[in-house]
Amino acid sequence: MDPLSLLRGLLDTTEDAARALVGRERIRLAVTGLSRAGKTVFLTSLIANLIAAGRGARTLPALSDATGGRIRRVFVVPAGTETVPRFDPEAHLGALAADPPRWPERTEDFSTLSIAIDVERRTSLGGLLPERRLTLDLIDYPGEWLLDLPMLRQDYATWSGETLARFRRGVRAAAAAEFLAFLDALPADAPAEDALAKRGYTLYRDALRACRDAHGLRFLQPGRFLNPGPRGEAPLLWFFPLPEGARGGLADLCARRYAAYLDDQRSTFLDPYFSRFHRQVVLVDVLGALHAGEEAFRDTGDALAAVASIISGANWLERLLGAAPTRVAFAATKADHVPTRARDALAALVEHIAFGARGRAAQSGAAVSCHAVAAVRCTEDAVARLEGQAVAAVRGVLLQDGRGATIYPGEVPMKPPEPDFWDAGLFTMPEFRPPRLDPAGTSGMPHLGLDALLAWLIGDLL
Amino acid sequence: MSGRPTPRVILDEGTAPAPRLDFGWEVQVAPPVPPARGWSTMALIGLGAAVLVLGFSLLEAGNFVAAQFAQAAWLGWLTLAVATAGFGLVFVAIGRELRGYLALGTVDRARAAVARGDPAALRSALAAWQAGLPEGRAKPGDLGNMPINAACALVEAKTLAPIAQDAAALGRAAAVQAFAVTAVSPSPALDALVFGWRGIRLVRQVAALHGFRPGIAGTVSLLRRVAVDAATVAATDVAVDAAVRGLLSSRLAEHVAGEAAAGAVAARRMMLLARAADEACRVLPR
Repeated sequence: MDPLSLLRGLLDTTEDAARALVGRERIRLAVTGLSRAGKTVFLTSLIANLIAAGRGARTLPALSDATGGRIRRVFVVPAGTETVPRFDPEAHLGALAADPPRWPERTEDFSTLSIAIDVERRTSLGGLLPERRLTLDLIDYPGEWLLDLPMLRQDYATWSGETLARFRRGVRAAAAAEFLAFLDALPADAPAEDALAKRGYTLYRDALRACRDAHGLRFLQPGRFLNPGPRGEAPLLWFFPLPEGARGGLADLCARRYAAYLDDQRSTFLDPYFSRFHRQVVLVDVLGALHAGEEAFRDTGDALAAVASIISGANWLERLLGAAPTRVAFAATKADHVPTRARDALAALVEHIAFGARGRAAQSGAAVSCHAVAAVRCTEDAVARLEGQAVAAVRGVLLQDGRGATIYPGEVPMKPPEPDFWDAGLFTMPEFRPPRLDPAGTSGMPHLGLDALLAWLIGDLL
Repeated sequence: MSGRPTPRVILDEGTAPAPRLDFGWEVQVAPPVPPARGWSTMALIGLGAAVLVLGFSLLEAGNFVAAQFAQAAWLGWLTLAVATAGFGLVFVAIGRELRGYLALGTVDRARAAVARGDPAALRSALAAWQAGLPEGRAKPGDLGNMPINAACALVEAKTLAPIAQDAAALGRAAAVQAFAVTAVSPSPALDALVFGWRGIRLVRQVAALHGFRPGIAGTVSLLRRVAVDAATVAATDVAVDAAVRGLLSSRLAEHVAGEAAAGAVAARRMMLLARAADEACRVLPR
C-alpha cells in the first residue's frame, strides 16, 4: 500500500467512524459479477424491493425480520455533482414491465446510485431518538472489466505467458486458431509497426469474442477488448499477448500499451470504485456455466478466484483500515431457471465453483456465505414427462415469441460433476419474459432469495 | 449420466402467445391492514350522551312548541322561531366542528397516498389541500401535468417551506411570551396554566397556517398528532433541559440567573411545539 493510499485509507476510516458515531453510516456495497451474471437486473430488483419495503410492503420479509421491522423509509439519495452517469432503476424496471418486455442491454459504462435506509434505533429508547440513516452506495459496470483486476499484479511478460498457455489448449485453441497462426508467423524481433499491432489486436479481440459468445468462457482478458465502453476502441488497446521469445519493437510497443492500459483502468475503474468497500456480493451464473460444458464451468471458477484474489484478498493493513469487505456473499443467479427442489443444489454448487474465491475472502477475515437467488422470478414450478419419467421442471413464457414452454434444466449436481455428467452435451437456456410487473415499482418485483441474501449481507448494519 | 433425461425445452401446443405469468405479487407483499379500531368506549359514551341531550332537547322543544301552539298561535310561532334559532346555532357549531375535524383527514389521505406510492390519490389529496389553504398563501397551482416527484418538490418549496418558517416565527413569539410569563409568574401552578393555554393556542395558530381551523374536537385530534410527532423531539428537549439546569445549578449561577433557567426551558419547549405542530399538519411527510 503506497503512502497516498494509506493516507486516503486513514481519512476514509476516520470518516466512517464519525458517520457511525452520528448514526449516518455510508456503506459501499460492491456488486461484482462476470459478464451476463445479471448485475443490472439484480441492482434494479434490489432498489425496487428496498424502496417498496420502505413503504411497508413485505417485499423482503427476511430482511424485515432480521431488522425487527425497524425499516422506516427507503429512498434514492438525490444526485449531487457526480460526473459518473446515474444508474436508472426506473428505466430498467419500465423496460422489464413494457409489452413486449426487454431485458437490460449489455452494460457499456459505469453508473452509480445511492440508497438511503432510515431505521429506528435498536435501543429501548429507539422510538425517541432520531432515526439512523444507512446509505448504500451501489455501482453498475461492465462485468468484462472485472477481469482486468488480476492483470494489475502482473507485468506484460507474465500476463502474455499465462494467457497464451490458456489459449493453446481446449476450446480456446480452436476459437483462437487464426490469432495463434498469426503469432506463429510473427518473427521474434517484429518491428513496432502499428499495422501489425492492430492486426494482432483485431485477431485477439475476435478470439476473445468467440470464446465468450460461442463457448460461454469468462476468464477473458483484457476486459475492454470485449467491451470497450463509451470511449470506444482507442489506440491504447492495440496490443496482444506475445510469446516469451519476442524481443523486438513490437514487443516493446505492446508492453508499453499494456502498462498504459492498466494505468488507465486503475485510475478510472479500480481506484475510484474498487479500492474500498464494506460488503460484497459476487453474482455467478453457475447454471449457465454448467450448461456451457466442463471447460466453461472450470473457467468460471478460475475467473472468480482470480478476481477474488484482488478484490477480497486484503492484507492486514487494509483490514485494519476498514478497506476490506467484512462480509462476502456468493450468489448463484437465475435460480428461477431450476425447480424449487434444485435450488439448494445450485447454492451448494456455487460454493464449489467459488472455492478459490471463497478461500481468498475467508483468508482476509471476511465472513462468507452462499445463496441461490433470482432477482426477477420469471418461472413457476412444473412437472414434465420425459422418456416415461416425471421430472421437476419450470414453466415460463419465452422472450422471443411469447410462447409458453416447460423447461427441464437437467440435473443440478451439488458438487462439481463427475466426468460422465458432461456427456449430456451443451444446452442453451432460453430467455424468459418477466412476469407481469407494475412499471411504477410500487410493490417491488417478484424475486427468489433476495431477501435472505440482503438479510445476511446488510442485516447486521441496520 | 446415461439413462437420465437431458435438458430440453418443451413448447406448449399451438402458436398463440401465452400471457405473462402473474404471481399475485402485489397481494402477497401488501402491507398488513391494521384492524379497524372502531369507536372507543369513551367515544361511544360521549356520542350517546350527546345524542340523548340533543335528541331529548329536540323532543322537549317540539313538545313545548306544540303546547305553546295550543295556548295561542302567535305564542307557538314565537316559540318555534326561538327554538329554530337556538338549535340552528348549535347545529352550525357542530357542523363547523365536524368540518374542522374532517379537514385533518386531508393530511392522512395525502400521507397514505405517499406511503402507497399512489400518484393519482396523492394528486387529488393535494388539490383538496390547496383549496383549503388560507388567502394570501403562495400555492403551487395546477399539478396535473407534472410528474408526481416534481409536484411534491414544488409543494414543498412553494408552500410547505414558507409555512415552516412562519410556524417557527410563531414558535419564537410564543417562546418569548412563555419565557416572560415563567420569569414573572408568582406560582408554578400558574406557569403550567399559562404554558398550557399558550401551547394550545400555538398549535391552533400553526394549524391555521396549513389551512385548518380546528374546533374543539379538531384541536384534541391535532394535539394527539402533535404529541406523537413531539415524541421524536422529546429526547432533545430532555437533554437541553438537563443541560440548562445543570449549567445553572451552581450557587453562583442560581443567584445570577434565578428562575430564568426554567423560563429558557419553557421557551425552548414552545419552539419545539411549533415544530412538532408543523410536522403534524404537513400534507407531505418531511
